[in-house]
Amino acid sequence: MNKKKLAFIIPIFTVFLASLFASKLPDTLETIAINYEFINKAKETSSPFSGYCFPFVENHYASKFLAGIIGLALLYVLFKITTKIVKSLAKLIYEESK
Amino acid sequence: MHIPDGFLNNNLAGGLLAGALGMIGYCLNKILKSITVAVGIIAGSVSEVNLGSQSFGFSENTSKYFQRLTLVALWVFAFQMFNIPVKSATSAHLISGVFAAILAGPFAGFIIMSFVLIIQSLFFSDGGVLALGANILNMAFIGSFLSYYVYKAFSNKSRHFGVFAACFFSVMAASLACLIELGLSGSILFSTAFKNMMSLHFGVSCIETLITLALLKVFRSVNGESNE
Repeated sequence: MNKKKLAFIIPIFTVFLASLFASKLPDTLETIAINYEFINKAKETSSPFSGYCFPFVENHYASKFLAGIIGLALLYVLFKITTKIVKSLAKLIYEESK
Repeated sequence: MHIPDGFLNNNLAGGLLAGALGMIGYCLNKILKSITVAVGIIAGSVSEVNLGSQSFGFSENTSKYFQRLTLVALWVFAFQMFNIPVKSATSAHLISGVFAAILAGPFAGFIIMSFVLIIQSLFFSDGGVLALGANILNMAFIGSFLSYYVYKAFSNKSRHFGVFAACFFSVMAASLACLIELGLSGSILFSTAFKNMMSLHFGVSCIETLITLALLKVFRSVNGESNE
């Protein structure tokens, strides 16, 4: 397999494994918040894929996998946009300095 | 380690958010300056410029450099989704800040971590929106940017030791910063939770080191780079 493709497939496969096997136990900060009784101070914020769950998909594993894929896609788009902006700004600065 | 909204005092969270946005701007400006020099190199008008050890992408191809940043960000996001049980009834995920900083440099590493945290907060409720500044300080600034310099300081003799020192610093210092922020906000008494917080994260730092070493090896091999 093309190594470049593999570099993109690995995060997708990791998201797939995370949707199947990731621990559902509270994380370290949640554990501290539970132990020291300030967990109820947490405010729930609404977001489209809250808790890494894709809406309208009943199956927990599929829902988490789809949400993870959406996350990867969003990051990809964010970096593409940033790349375009930074590259065009760099060209502009260079041309002005000539 | 993502702090949700409500745990932190609004003034502190707001101040940290402003600081984080300023740092994002500063790091993007640093990348922009390097790219501008690289455009000059490609055009042939800049003959001799020392961009340091992180200049490989600029001098060769800026597109390749940005593709690398995107890839590192995707890996960080994916591996942060994987929660591993660390002690009874507790789990942890990688910060991956050292992984990002070693592969992309401190400024781009900070940007990668910040963008991952922004996506996690806005779309997945993983960390609060107002608490985003604190999370960026803990995981992007301390966990990636500062950890890069720890790696540099300790990697002269052995790269593995550098990774170990940076990962240990990354997790322990980030958790300490998190505890200080919670203490300043009145959510927790610093002195009573210190031992518990540090002992929980000691185990996490060992896992972070092992997985970071493995990830660096795999990332470099799939990108056709040397591991030495």
